[in-house]
Amino acid sequence: MTPRRKITKYTGKPAKVLQSEPALVIEWPRSLAHRHTYGKLSPFFKGLTEGKLLATRCINPECSEHRLWLPPRADCPDCNQPMIWEELPQPVIGTVHTYARVEYAGAGIELTTPYFQIDVELPGVCTIFKGYLQYGTPEIGMKVQACFRTEDPTNTILDIYWIPAAG
Amino acid sequence: MITLKEGNWRVPKWNRKVFAVAGGLTNYKKFCPEMKLEEQVMVSFRQMLENNDLKLSPVEIKGLVNFLACGNFSDHFQDQLLCEAKVTDYLGLDPIYDIGIKTGGATGGSTVLTAAMAVASGYADVALAVGWERMSEVDTRAGNFYIANAACKDFETRLSRIYAAYYAPMAVRFAWAYNLSEQTRAKVAVKNHLYAYYSPYSQQPGKYTIQDVLDSPMSTYPLRFLECCAMTDGAACMLLCDEKTAYKLTDKPCELFIAGGSHTLRVADRRDMEIPLLPHETPEMYHGLRKKEVQRWPGFESFAAARFAAYFAYRMAGITNPLEELDLVELHDAFTISDIQTYGDIGLRPYGQEPDYIESGDAYFGGKCPANLSGGLIGTMHAVGATGIFQGIECLWQIQGKYDKFHGDPRIWKSFGKKKPEDWRSLQLPDARQALWVSHAGVGSHVTVGILRKAF
Ligand SMILES: [Zn+2]
Repeated sequence: MTPRRKITKYTGKPAKVLQSEPALVIEWPRSLAHRHTYGKLSPFFKGLTEGKLLATRCINPECSEHRLWLPPRADCPDCNQPMIWEELPQPVIGTVHTYARVEYAGAGIELTTPYFQIDVELPGVCTIFKGYLQYGTPEIGMKVQACFRTEDPTNTILDIYWIPAAG
Repeated sequence: MITLKEGNWRVPKWNRKVFAVAGGLTNYKKFCPEMKLEEQVMVSFRQMLENNDLKLSPVEIKGLVNFLACGNFSDHFQDQLLCEAKVTDYLGLDPIYDIGIKTGGATGGSTVLTAAMAVASGYADVALAVGWERMSEVDTRAGNFYIANAACKDFETRLSRIYAAYYAPMAVRFAWAYNLSEQTRAKVAVKNHLYAYYSPYSQQPGKYTIQDVLDSPMSTYPLRFLECCAMTDGAACMLLCDEKTAYKLTDKPCELFIAGGSHTLRVADRRDMEIPLLPHETPEMYHGLRKKEVQRWPGFESFAAARFAAYFAYRMAGITNPLEELDLVELHDAFTISDIQTYGDIGLRPYGQEPDYIESGDAYFGGKCPANLSGGLIGTMHAVGATGIFQGIECLWQIQGKYDKFHGDPRIWKSFGKKKPEDWRSLQLPDARQALWVSHAGVGSHVTVGILRKAF
């Protein structure tokens, strides 16, 4: 004698109806957490929480690019060889290359609006580094200094921010 | 400095000629609950098959299709993986092979490029380029965040979660380097909203003044809402063929050339490069362009991907002077600034003189080489996966002399629940023979340049 199969029960939550005319539109919730690795860039993000700005450099003598990369990359795009880490000397002073004032940000924004996003040139770095200015009004050519969120770090790129440089 | 070697500069070459014969669009709107995505694709597919004066019946034409390139930008929006299988089935084209194409905002252009490669290689005699996007599945701010995932997730996305904030620094920098005024930017918005006013397909038509644009709310300074495209639900279809089939299907085929370029996702990582020259340019033109300290090319001012795409497309098509040889262009005006930057990349003006293309009047209907008579992205649509197909279709219809047929027919307006304006005017160019369109992604990560040439 086969055991009686249990009745399959509905255990979900009925979909909320958002509108029923002219077509039926329901709410379809999505709430997921991804596991995101910083991979070989982990030293950079750990560095921010320790008040350090780490960049990478290609030391392959055959390669034509020996400036620093920031954002860092683990491998050189020109010769495809692994690069080495190098800490920028403190205080880290850069120059505003361009900027924007964010008034209307997308969902999940973690900064109070409006705020200034800035793109910063740094000496010896072949790229331009994006961040935000904590206070003050940027202009092209303005000197800015890097600050780090070492207390209560966010463990994201928001652990570095900039302020107007003294003098 | 990125240095390309000889092999990288090889100009793409079709193994046989490729032709565009027909196109189909949908009504473009913010929120289209009355239709599912495949149902909306069907609207554009029917227009393509039934209203383009093709010489075979829709069923006969379906019987010729060998390949589909299916463009849709974001799995986030559709929330349905493998949409292309649903679409191919829904259009009744099973089991013809389809490939899903994804290159951000350039998805539509890449979709046409893929379909063209299928025809050029001999894989297909008839290929369908079809694209769509359903951005209304989430609210606007969530949509902005989704799109901002097309910035670098580790180093950029969290810094604004909206794409206007990745273009705004370009607008600031461009104005500083090349003297671009807010008024010139606003003129692009005024023009494209106005041209959208004459299109039944358009989402954001409007008769605005420069002051209206400057007074509109700020998205990210210096870009205002009237300078930005909106989120759209919609689809588009374009039919490509080999030469023999093209003339069997239509009396008005257009020969197609299309090529692409890519560049780093982060503007930050654009190192200085030597400027690849277009056929009409000389190195002397750019002596002193980098007059300001730390200026680099393409930097924040230009798009290397667009320059590369144009470099190859002009050589494929044998174009030696774009402003003289093109009768119209459709550009990717997701933002006023991206439109203006592109004028230099595709050689409508030398780098550094981009604003003059607007100020001279060349960019207007009646001007030397009008831009975005369709209303563009700012005025008509940016249903991302469909956009680069829509732009190509608007070029095709101009060359075929069908602007009025597809924009002026009151029945089309009525079918979208709209009324054709009393003061509607035709934007049909008198003798358009050659048109170009730019399909563009990211902050310039992928760009295709397509060229359609009258072949009748
Ligand atoms: Zn290297």
